[in-house]
Amino acid sequence: MNRRLRIVKSVLWGFVGVWVVVTVARFLRGLGPTTGLSDAVPWGLWIALDVMAGVALAAGGFVVVATVYLFGLERYRPFVRPAILTAFLGYVAVAVGLLYDLGLPWHIWYPILYPQYQSVLFEVAMCVMLYLAVLALEFAPVALEHPWFGHPIFRGALTVLKKATLVLLIAGVILSTLHQSSLGSLFLIAPYRLDPLWYTPIIYVLFFISAVGLGLMTVTMESLLSGWLFGHKIRTSLLSGLGLAASVVLGFYAAIRLGDVAVRGVLGHAFDGSWQGWLFLFETLVCAILPAVLLAVRRIRLSAAGLGVCSAMTIFGMVLNRLSVCILAFERPEGMTYFPAWTEFAITLGIMSAMALVFVFFVENLKVYPREDRESISARPAERLSYDPATLHRLTPESIAATRRYSLIAVTTAAFAVAFLPKEAVFGPQPVPAPVFGIRTVEGFLLKQPGGRQPRIMLASHMEDAPNKGRRVSLMMIDGNRNGRLVLFTHKRHIEECGGEDSCAKCHHQNMPFDENTSCYECHRDMYEPTDIFDHAFHVTHLGGNDGCKECHVSFSQPKMRQTAKACLECHKEMLAAETFAGEEQEKTMTGIAPGYMKALHRLCIGCHRREVKENPQRRSPAFARCDACHGNAGDLDLRRLGPYAHSADSRDGASRLAQAAPLSGGNRSFGDHTSEQSGP
Amino acid sequence: MKPVAILTDVTRCTGCEACVGACKKEYHLGPDRPWRQKGAIDDLSSTRHTTILSRPGGRYVRKQCRHCNQAACVSACLVGAMQKTPDGPVIYDEKKCMGCRYCMVACPYSIPRYDWNKAVPYVHKCTMCYTRIKTGKQPACIEACPEEATIFGPRDEILALARQRLKTEPQKYLQEIYGEKEVGGTSVLYISDIPLDFLACKPALGETPLPERTYAALSKVPGIVLAMGGLLTGIYWIIGRRMRMQELKATAAAETQTEKAKTADGEKE
Repeated sequence: MNRRLRIVKSVLWGFVGVWVVVTVARFLRGLGPTTGLSDAVPWGLWIALDVMAGVALAAGGFVVVATVYLFGLERYRPFVRPAILTAFLGYVAVAVGLLYDLGLPWHIWYPILYPQYQSVLFEVAMCVMLYLAVLALEFAPVALEHPWFGHPIFRGALTVLKKATLVLLIAGVILSTLHQSSLGSLFLIAPYRLDPLWYTPIIYVLFFISAVGLGLMTVTMESLLSGWLFGHKIRTSLLSGLGLAASVVLGFYAAIRLGDVAVRGVLGHAFDGSWQGWLFLFETLVCAILPAVLLAVRRIRLSAAGLGVCSAMTIFGMVLNRLSVCILAFERPEGMTYFPAWTEFAITLGIMSAMALVFVFFVENLKVYPREDRESISARPAERLSYDPATLHRLTPESIAATRRYSLIAVTTAAFAVAFLPKEAVFGPQPVPAPVFGIRTVEGFLLKQPGGRQPRIMLASHMEDAPNKGRRVSLMMIDGNRNGRLVLFTHKRHIEECGGEDSCAKCHHQNMPFDENTSCYECHRDMYEPTDIFDHAFHVTHLGGNDGCKECHVSFSQPKMRQTAKACLECHKEMLAAETFAGEEQEKTMTGIAPGYMKALHRLCIGCHRREVKENPQRRSPAFARCDACHGNAGDLDLRRLGPYAHSADSRDGASRLAQAAPLSGGNRSFGDHTSEQSGP
Repeated sequence: MKPVAILTDVTRCTGCEACVGACKKEYHLGPDRPWRQKGAIDDLSSTRHTTILSRPGGRYVRKQCRHCNQAACVSACLVGAMQKTPDGPVIYDEKKCMGCRYCMVACPYSIPRYDWNKAVPYVHKCTMCYTRIKTGKQPACIEACPEEATIFGPRDEILALARQRLKTEPQKYLQEIYGEKEVGGTSVLYISDIPLDFLACKPALGETPLPERTYAALSKVPGIVLAMGGLLTGIYWIIGRRMRMQELKATAAAETQTEKAKTADGEKE
């Protein structure tokens, strides 16, 4: 086996190793952790490169088949089998790539079950499915020639297939024409999202012509590559024929592309200096104009280097074109960028590598290339038993050593892939990192409350009119919810409320994954959900131990559970402020469940507001009962969700002064009323 | 049931997000995760089928699926998981979905959202509470709105009401009903005092329904199949015949040559 092939195979096996690992992550954790896709970018690298570009690159199959069988250009026959094999593996790669990109890959056959004929994608799906089958049948005779398939059944199948060749070929060419063009039609539905340089009503014509040109160039490239890899001679004279055809097709493509842009009147956009304009010019130049011009020159066409450069340019340019249509020139909301995750590249490269390995395997074992080429492929040196001259140990024969080498490489790269997998792809969704603002101290007052209640905390900036009302203290403000919004925090009172010195771990625990301490909201629940505030043990002690059961669990016949117990309100009526309408509705039976923060506060206010409007229409306008009576001042929604805003000029000034002293991210955010609520009733 | 519609009056919305809460409750959507790139919760997501967008000048605009009369997502879906019901709502059947996300590409308002963080993901969008309105109830968001900023009813009545509001208070509103004719008309309409172009991908969508654009290409398919089939067979036949003729000529020429040679030989003899 030649050295070059061995190195290429090793590299390919390396990619396959990474591919296997990323595959597991992709199907266990979903698309989010393993791709850069988001709601703003629904289609990414896999669709653009594996499907769009993959299908276009596999166009060589139908182009060569049509050339040789339908147009009768027999001299190109040496290219037929390699081209069909490349196309077949290319389409398998497309199908496999789709399995990764589809959210529910096990539904991939559903278009047959639930056809929706209005959809371009339905047409593409059906054509690709059928064409894959046609390609398999076109390639099957090559496989069936192998001595393994000596059984009469296989021989029979072979004769049938050979007889059906013409039908298969024509079907293949029609199916290719349809879906090569329809891949362009897919974007007709998005006129408002695709840049006008790419969106055109004849996009399907462009896609088809470019696929033909690209197909000719991929056959050239594939022929050059396999010549380099397997060491057989390159048929430059034949390839120059393909090159000439490609020159014509690509020139035609460039003319239509530019003509279309000019006719639609967006040619100015191409030269206005925008990045889309540059991209368009670069793409058209590289994929069509340059190769078309270069290939028209006989000397370039007849040199392997010239053909190589031209086909490489076309392939690069056309792939770029598909990427542009799919991703680059596809409108996204501002600030929403897309760059593929490395795992996306790994999957793409892995599929391509696997297909390349299968290609090499077929080439080595089947009659893919003409006989004179096969001789150089199968010309392996006869394996002799070899011994280490020093120790006389028998050395591993090449056939075993190669297997070991490839396995080692694949396992090693797989191990590296595991090490570099994104955290989310291994451990599932991760908390979004949010920087915590440092602790800040502010001046405040402790106001004595009657009846031995906890003292009320006020910010000094809110108390300028009455500075001597209470004890002046330093108050701590923390970014407890890690949202950049500092709130007053009374450490001492939290210790008392949570149950003394032993309760540190309630907030400062070190053992929760991905978390170092409890955010405020984890106890002070969010705005919408009700919170359980019932303390059973506390009630048991205060109601006289076990004798107290019947105080709440009134009925002996019913099981003792929360749903059957007496409602809290029946004992705790006095705990509610007068004129609130909390407890009027279903809360009577919701024993021990406190309403959510928002609901609770709304109920303390809204009832009176509504009544006022109803009873004193001359004093109160209807706006007094509307939400923005309290929530009117806020600039951003998140703040408004937190609570009503201070209206007095005083407090606002105070807040803005505080904000100036140490600007928060939002600028004029006010927090005065939050603190007064927290320390309120 | 007559085709229904939702009308949102931007001037009345106070941005309280009661609609968002009601929607979350109705569909058990749970807490939000911030957008990966924005780090904020401010747009639709798989846990937020409707949302309130804050606009300069203290305006709040509810964003939700527009339920287009000729919906791009419906025409795009290759398995018919998106469907336009005769009553108006565009509904989603997750049992058929294969997760290609073509609907997300097709939507001119970029509405459908995806479960990016699930191994078994589905598309998420407002379905106008189709099961609720089937039973005669209103959509959850409409019921929750404390300001009647967003209302629900038969489309013609809703349109008439919108026109009437524009007429009675012409100085208050922009004289346009958003969604009346855009992309063939939608079932979610807006009247507003600020331009609402930002709700769509591009300002000023045309009035042509998007499915018509693909239909123009798709309708050519049967023709192409027939033409290509005929053309290819024809070419094959003609070229094959020409080659056979050439072969015949060649053999005939060869024969005559050999005959000539023979006769020449004979003459020599």
